[in-house]
Amino acid sequence: MAVDNEPRETFEDVDWDDIDETTRSFSRKTIVTIGVYVLFAVGLLYDYVLKPSRADTIEPLGISLQALDWLYILTLLTILVGVVVPLYENGRMTRYYWQQFRKNRAAVASLLYLGVIFLIGSIGPRFLEQPTVDSSNAYQPPVFTSAPNWLPVECAGEVAGGSCHGTWAHPFGTTHEGKDILVSVIYGMEVSMQVGLIAALITITIAAIVGVSAAYFGGWIDAALMRYVDIQITFPTFFLYLMIVYLYGGSLFSMIVIFGLLGWGGIARIVRSEALQRREEEYVLAAKNAGASGYWTMRRHLLPNVSNSVITAVTLLIPGLILFEASLAFLGLGDPTVPSWGEVIASGRNDLPNAWWVSTIPGIFLFFTILAFNFVGDALRDALDPRAEGGDQ
Amino acid sequence: MGKGVSPVSDQSGAARTEAPLLSVRNLTKHYPITTGLRSKEVGRVRAVDGIDFDVYPGETVGIVGESGCGKSTAASSLIRLEEPTEGTVRFDGEDITRYDQAELKAFRRRVQMIFQDPESSFDPRMSIGEAIAEPLAVQGLTDASRRREIVVDLLERVGLAAGDADRYPHELSGGQKQRVGLARALSMNPDMIIADEPVSALDVSIQSEILALMTDLQESFGLSILIISHNLAVIRQICDRVAVMYLGEIVELGTASEVFTNPQHPYTRALLASIPTADPTDRGTGIELTGDVPSPSNPPTGCRFHTRCPELIQPDDYAFEQSVWRRVMDLRQKLDGGTVDVDAIREGVVTEREPSETPDDVSATETKARLRDEFAIPQSLGDSRAESVLEAALDDLVSGNPAAARERLATEFATPCESQSPTLEDATAGQTASCLRLENELPPTELEQTVRSD
Repeated sequence: MAVDNEPRETFEDVDWDDIDETTRSFSRKTIVTIGVYVLFAVGLLYDYVLKPSRADTIEPLGISLQALDWLYILTLLTILVGVVVPLYENGRMTRYYWQQFRKNRAAVASLLYLGVIFLIGSIGPRFLEQPTVDSSNAYQPPVFTSAPNWLPVECAGEVAGGSCHGTWAHPFGTTHEGKDILVSVIYGMEVSMQVGLIAALITITIAAIVGVSAAYFGGWIDAALMRYVDIQITFPTFFLYLMIVYLYGGSLFSMIVIFGLLGWGGIARIVRSEALQRREEEYVLAAKNAGASGYWTMRRHLLPNVSNSVITAVTLLIPGLILFEASLAFLGLGDPTVPSWGEVIASGRNDLPNAWWVSTIPGIFLFFTILAFNFVGDALRDALDPRAEGGDQ
Repeated sequence: MGKGVSPVSDQSGAARTEAPLLSVRNLTKHYPITTGLRSKEVGRVRAVDGIDFDVYPGETVGIVGESGCGKSTAASSLIRLEEPTEGTVRFDGEDITRYDQAELKAFRRRVQMIFQDPESSFDPRMSIGEAIAEPLAVQGLTDASRRREIVVDLLERVGLAAGDADRYPHELSGGQKQRVGLARALSMNPDMIIADEPVSALDVSIQSEILALMTDLQESFGLSILIISHNLAVIRQICDRVAVMYLGEIVELGTASEVFTNPQHPYTRALLASIPTADPTDRGTGIELTGDVPSPSNPPTGCRFHTRCPELIQPDDYAFEQSVWRRVMDLRQKLDGGTVDVDAIREGVVTEREPSETPDDVSATETKARLRDEFAIPQSLGDSRAESVLEAALDDLVSGNPAAARERLATEFATPCESQSPTLEDATAGQTASCLRLENELPPTELEQTVRSD
């Protein structure tokens, strides 16, 4: 037996009858997490039930939150609670994954790029007015470039040698309607992040719950869930969205919700097949031997062990969603009230011979955002690959 | 060897006065084989088929048997990690098969299990400390700092360092992980530990360390241990009593010293004979199990071991040499299974001949001789009446009538072992075995004597 001078609690000292009698107390972290969500629910309740329906959400500041904004806040909260906090708590594991991730230089640059896009996209629209139509200001070229003087109605910059030169007033130039492209691009960043993150979060939440429960419970629950997935995957989501556009008009909120709620089938299958393998591991039996409930086993063992494939699937899902939103906006099926990259690209397609910048600049942002997500996804897959485990330190 | 110092270690079961801690009666676990959408049951795998045994406080009991004999299923179904199909399990006087979920969860504190594969029994995403503390957390000890203290203490008791709590399973060796497994089991302060092949995945040098640790901990905390193993050396090292399982049934149960020195069941004798010895001049006792391990979905009738038993009871009317009798029965069983292919035998003969010959050229006599060779039956049995029966049966077989051959052998060479099920009978004091030889008080065979004189 261990010789010890300090009195220390040992397993023999635990009085289980005492523990059975005391009601379950929650850890501080659980209380904070629950508190944050309760606060969110209270805010939502206030906005939709208590306050006068036309009034702004926060009257003195003039901030009005729409359904999409609430969803985005919920998404960011969940990312904080579900990704950032665990990464911080398991510092050693995080450092190990970071070591692996860092090996891919392109991915590190991509992550940095995405961080900048996220920050600008989150902050910019709070301070910038939405771009407005101003025909006198149309076709201004970007800074450091020039356009034939006849193109802009009124050149904002200096005119030299029959060419209109761009100015810092409109660093990325303006469209045929005179909308500032920089502001549109910044608004587009927020749209793309909202589409990618919200839809992806809805997708993985449902996919993880469905996949893990199907694998854990098996039998008829498994059969019912997976047959439903089969049906859902054959369902033409695109036409459902077209119908919504036809009936109610295009809206970013309905687009995100439809793709989030109907696009999780494939990932649920991946999660299920992965969880099926994990369920047969002895540590699941060991948890049962400790008296763990099904929920505990799924939450503590199955979910963390399938997270690798979920994360990889999601980083490849997000660029798909962003691209899809851009395509719909390009086709004019997007939300007419928000300037998205696809919409700006579409608005410049007739002006390509003269005003190249209208379509090109948002196109470049779209291109690099998609590319960055793919790079990050590849690097994450390599970093999280369990076959590489054991080689740290 | 390092046996537990329990006061009852070498006492016979019959003479015990105290109540058993664990008492298993008629424990049965069948897995239904289902087919189709409506899961129609078409058969059952009888993994465990009615086993009885007791474990007394402070005692180490071993269950030994071949892979697939149901010993692991017995372990997991007796603590309801899998629901048993039938039977009662009394722990400390209470029938745990009737427990509801809450009672079962409380019961988990009293019996803990150690798993076979140290690679798979720890969640790769959980640190060692979290893994050891998991039972504590599950059972409601929510205070993380208290859990931490207990984990550190446990790690030191099983011979690891406190700092190992923050390491991850892949950073430990197999032996270290099995120590962690012990710590995890101990965290509940259990009365009993069930160890399912606790050392079979480890190097031999590590095995004895882990076994010694188990014995130490048993002494310190007065644990009862039920250890499942296919390795007789492990069982011999630490067990007070041993149950030998064959195809879902216990065939012999007794104190370790008795079972190892005076085995009563032919299967136990065959198992003991299979232990290699360090003596190069010892060529073994020559007991070799013939035939295939039967499937538990369709176990043999009568004594389940009769299809492989080297000491199968002979029919009264004939006098065989025991080993020849076994070979003849092998032929009979193959015939019953429909797996004797006379055409293949003929082709086998042809391949050693002139290329111009065809299987049809092989004479009946040659085919019969080859058949005998295939089953290692001598060309002439010692008993002339038995010889004529066998010859007639081979004639039937070669002339393309296996049904007649089967019929003839079944009526003439019948053994009580295939029709009567033996029950566990007291063989000697505190030792029981299920063999018809014991029930009918038949004289021991030569094989039995060789093992006993070892």
